[in-house]
Amino acid sequence: MDKSHYVMLMYLIMHLGLIFFMYPENIIASTDAVHWIAIVSGLAVQFIFIAIYMKGLNFFPGKDIIAIYGSAGLGVSLVFLVPIVLYFLMINIITVRAYSEIISIVFLANTPLWAIMILLMLVSTYIAAKGVETIFRTGLLLGLLFLPMILLIFLASFQNVDWNYVFPLYENDFTFWTRPTFYQSFFAFAGSFLFLGFVRTHFPYKDNKVYLTVLSLVPFFIFSVYVPVLTFGQNTASTLHFPYVVVIDTLQINWLIFDRITMFFLFTLITFIMLFTSLILWMTSRIVSCCKPSIKQMYYTQGLAVVIYILCLLVPDWKKVETLFTWNAPLRFYCLIAIPLSVYYLGLRSRRKMRHEHA
Amino acid sequence: MSMLKWTVRLLMLLSIMGLLSGCWDNKDINHRTLPLILGVSLQDHEYKIIMQIPELVHDSVEIKMISESGKTINQAIDKISVNLEKQVDLLHIKVIILERKLAERGMKDAISGFMRSEEISDKAYIVICDEDLNSFFEHLNKTNDPKGMTLYNFFEKNAGWNPQIAISPIWQVYRSVHSYTRDVAIPMIKAGKSTICDYTGSAVIKNGKMIERISPDETLLFNAFNEQSTQGKIEVMNHASVLVVSNSLKHTTSLQNNKPYMQSRLKLKVVILETRGNPTSAIIKQEIDKLLTERFQRLFSKIQKSKADIFGIGQHFRNKIPREELVRWRTDYFPNLQLSLKIVTDIQNEGYLKIRAD
Amino acid sequence: MDQTLQDLIYKFEDNDDFFLQRDFFADRPVYLLGLKSLIDMARSRTFIHQYLDQAISNNTALSDGALMQMLGEVRGTNLQDISSSVYDGKFIIYFEHVQQYVVAEPVPNLLSRLFDTPTNENVLQGTLSSFVEDIDHNIGIARKQFSSESLRVKSFSVGQNQQKRIALLFAEGHVDMALVEQIIGQFETYIDHDINHIQDLSRTLGLSPWGSIAKFKTTEMPQEAAHSLKTGKVVIFVDRLPFALVLPNLLWDMFCLDNDHNYSLPLMIVLRSLRIVGVLITLIVPALYVALVAVNPEVLRIEIALTVAQSREGVPYPALVEIILILLILELIMEASVRLPRSIGPTITMVGGIILGEATVAAKLVSNLLIIILAATTIANSTVVGFQNSLSIRLFKYLLLLLAAVYGVLGILAGVVIICAYVASLNTFGVPYISITRMKERGNHG
Repeated sequence: MDKSHYVMLMYLIMHLGLIFFMYPENIIASTDAVHWIAIVSGLAVQFIFIAIYMKGLNFFPGKDIIAIYGSAGLGVSLVFLVPIVLYFLMINIITVRAYSEIISIVFLANTPLWAIMILLMLVSTYIAAKGVETIFRTGLLLGLLFLPMILLIFLASFQNVDWNYVFPLYENDFTFWTRPTFYQSFFAFAGSFLFLGFVRTHFPYKDNKVYLTVLSLVPFFIFSVYVPVLTFGQNTASTLHFPYVVVIDTLQINWLIFDRITMFFLFTLITFIMLFTSLILWMTSRIVSCCKPSIKQMYYTQGLAVVIYILCLLVPDWKKVETLFTWNAPLRFYCLIAIPLSVYYLGLRSRRKMRHEHA
Repeated sequence: MSMLKWTVRLLMLLSIMGLLSGCWDNKDINHRTLPLILGVSLQDHEYKIIMQIPELVHDSVEIKMISESGKTINQAIDKISVNLEKQVDLLHIKVIILERKLAERGMKDAISGFMRSEEISDKAYIVICDEDLNSFFEHLNKTNDPKGMTLYNFFEKNAGWNPQIAISPIWQVYRSVHSYTRDVAIPMIKAGKSTICDYTGSAVIKNGKMIERISPDETLLFNAFNEQSTQGKIEVMNHASVLVVSNSLKHTTSLQNNKPYMQSRLKLKVVILETRGNPTSAIIKQEIDKLLTERFQRLFSKIQKSKADIFGIGQHFRNKIPREELVRWRTDYFPNLQLSLKIVTDIQNEGYLKIRAD
Repeated sequence: MDQTLQDLIYKFEDNDDFFLQRDFFADRPVYLLGLKSLIDMARSRTFIHQYLDQAISNNTALSDGALMQMLGEVRGTNLQDISSSVYDGKFIIYFEHVQQYVVAEPVPNLLSRLFDTPTNENVLQGTLSSFVEDIDHNIGIARKQFSSESLRVKSFSVGQNQQKRIALLFAEGHVDMALVEQIIGQFETYIDHDINHIQDLSRTLGLSPWGSIAKFKTTEMPQEAAHSLKTGKVVIFVDRLPFALVLPNLLWDMFCLDNDHNYSLPLMIVLRSLRIVGVLITLIVPALYVALVAVNPEVLRIEIALTVAQSREGVPYPALVEIILILLILELIMEASVRLPRSIGPTITMVGGIILGEATVAAKLVSNLLIIILAATTIANSTVVGFQNSLSIRLFKYLLLLLAAVYGVLGILAGVVIICAYVASLNTFGVPYISITRMKERGNHG
């Protein structure tokens, strides 16, 4: 049975939650003009690696990534799975801490950070503890409920746009490859496609649909950067934290019952983030529970959640969060590049082996 | 076993809730005061803040004026909050009135402060008060408006806005401070004799400082160039007065020898309201043309002299001038700009009476 | 007298409604046994005599065996067997000379309600018959409504202390046989457990009694049951429970009534969307009030914000306590109105309404905006199909309320996520709660 729509929706939701917050800031800081080149380059890199990854996975029908590495030997598994676990842990810590900070800045100024973080962690752990099918079905429900609103606000954000800011359309300027903020912008998509390798057994999906979803996210990436640039201009936009959120704040929608739609937009994205965190948590506990399968996976999930929470509490301020970002970058690129390539290589090797056996 | 586990979890959860005793952000709305209008002025290097606070007195609402001064705006607000029995929340500030002296001194810090604050919405309007802030607020208090909405409605497009009133939300002023090619005009008001306020024109703001003043009619052209609708404005000439129904603006730009040239075509659709004598429609069109063109030339030479590009003309040259050169737009290119405006009027209808077409 | 007969009489000694009578059927001496409360004795006897007279006039010579076969089922002399038949309401005829028992079907006492209109569910322009207590009647109505050859009925008799009849109906070809076999397996394993109510039934089927959302859909209407059969679900009848229990219950059933198909398609879509909106309103609006009034007032438009602030002037409690107080009173009123006899009911409702509506607001205990909100919530709550479902939703809104008081709008959304996750994690016998595409044949829009 083809359950690709679950996978597509989940992919969409995960990325929407990540795009609108820090990605515009990073891209605007990486380059002065012609942002689309930076955006498209980053996305092209991601697309290439997703394609390699999925082709590699296709060599092992019905197996998930842990089984693939397991069949190649313990050493190989350690080399690849341990960085994944570390990467996921760090992503969770960064995400929870950063988003709690954002919530605290923008709306709930008096609520202490630990209280906000506990809400995020509890909800995510609850979802993760119930298993991957629950995660995906919750994604379906949340998508049905909240995606229309997000799309509406996204379309409305074009209200104050001045298209003249688009020019110049092309410049031979590739210096963004040298800026660290460009590499930080990869946070929004690198590594989050790894879940495709974990859920094959539960939710069989068609590759084409995944490619379609990846492509359909491209306009969101582009406009999440361009809407602030077109509204404010590059100079002003580069002085802002969270430029897209500030754009939403300038919108005037007279017929809505509520005044500040920034809040609804942000909080809806935060629910998507809760889902994202829960999926990452589930994947981490899945890998860790393979070490000692006797204990039920649910306990691993809860244990990991407690560890993540405590580590989050230890991060004192925003500067530290940015440092964590930079520390996470090498892991991210390792996961982005090495994992798909290794899976593909293992796939090729196993096919060659099978051919030898048949011959 | 599972029941025990769930009971334990439930108890843990409820005990966390027990820490609700502070309930951090939970403060009932009747314990907050939500002023709509904030007045800021500068006196002796100190910021003076005036706010309108509605108070419930014997089942009716009275407006009180509270003012404080402090080294920064936030300090002054904090001082007010200390002495008030409710928490002051700037969440609903809709209009910020700055005194003219402050605008002439420079508002860059104040504007940055407003943008940085997450309490004050970026949509709030900035208005400059042409007279002493205290007397203006006293005049405001005299109007019996418990919610303080009147001044806000003055600028609201749904309510009392007119096309010759400029609108400048905070974010546009902030944008003009950093932009290479755009400046902004802020409306100026003072206490009106029989209405709440008198609109006296707009202030041209360059780099956060007020450098020039333009009249309400000129502001209309500014609005037209910024693609705001001028519907509803009445123009009075020698022989007739007309009502503008719609307007559209088209530009052609070119760059020759590093000198920018721009031809604009303003297309107006008007409706005839009153006539003096018996003019033909040709005469009326001519008169509108002459009136608006003269007004426009006056305005344009004024702003070209002060090098403030409130029309945002530089925006149209973004595809012609490379970005590094654009930094010098205001100093080098803009003073040499040649702008020719052609006005094409279309009389949409004449009402119930006929008019000669000659 | 036969030993078994003596034992029988001894067994039923304490039951004063047990009768033992001597009679002659076709000149053979018989004893008639039965429970007077379950059998209409006079009519049964008359009926049998008439039947026998007619038979004899046609056929003069009748052997014992033939006579007994005509009257009913011939049984051996097993005491347990006979006595359980007596308890079942059967008419026992003991032929003295051959010492055999015949179990006959009597004219029973009318102990069940006749077919009636549904009491707990309302339909506009739809079938008005409803299920009753007697299980055979129910199966009969179900067969009439779903008149197809593929309908199968499997019966069980469960319980140790009392024997309760359970019937399982499914449409072969529509239903997933694995599901049916699982259910049958459960019944057969736990055949000794008593089943008196739905919690017992859940336990027998191995479902957790702790779920907040009902695992069964209970319906009094035959067309609902028939529709469920057609879409591959299983219907369970329990004797003396006047409704059909449909398994598995799905999320979409909360919004769908089979009667909707009696309207045109746009109307059906609008009605269903209305129900969905109703559910969302009832969950979110009370929590939204607390969040917007206490934690995040910047979201309200300024006019409303000032009006609310004015209306809350002088109210002593914070918004959360206010709303919980009134919700509690509302719940008490709803519970009380179920208990009250019909004569007192309207009076108390009126008093409750006046207390809530006028006096509380005038005494400044709560603000009047709150009353409006609660009225809207209660009305929206009742748009949901299925009483059990509306109870579940009533429960969930408290969770959202508590979260909203601490975290504001974020709390509401987090609560929605938790509810979605809970709903997504439910499944009955492997069928997830939110599956919309169900089994083989599904109507176009069902």
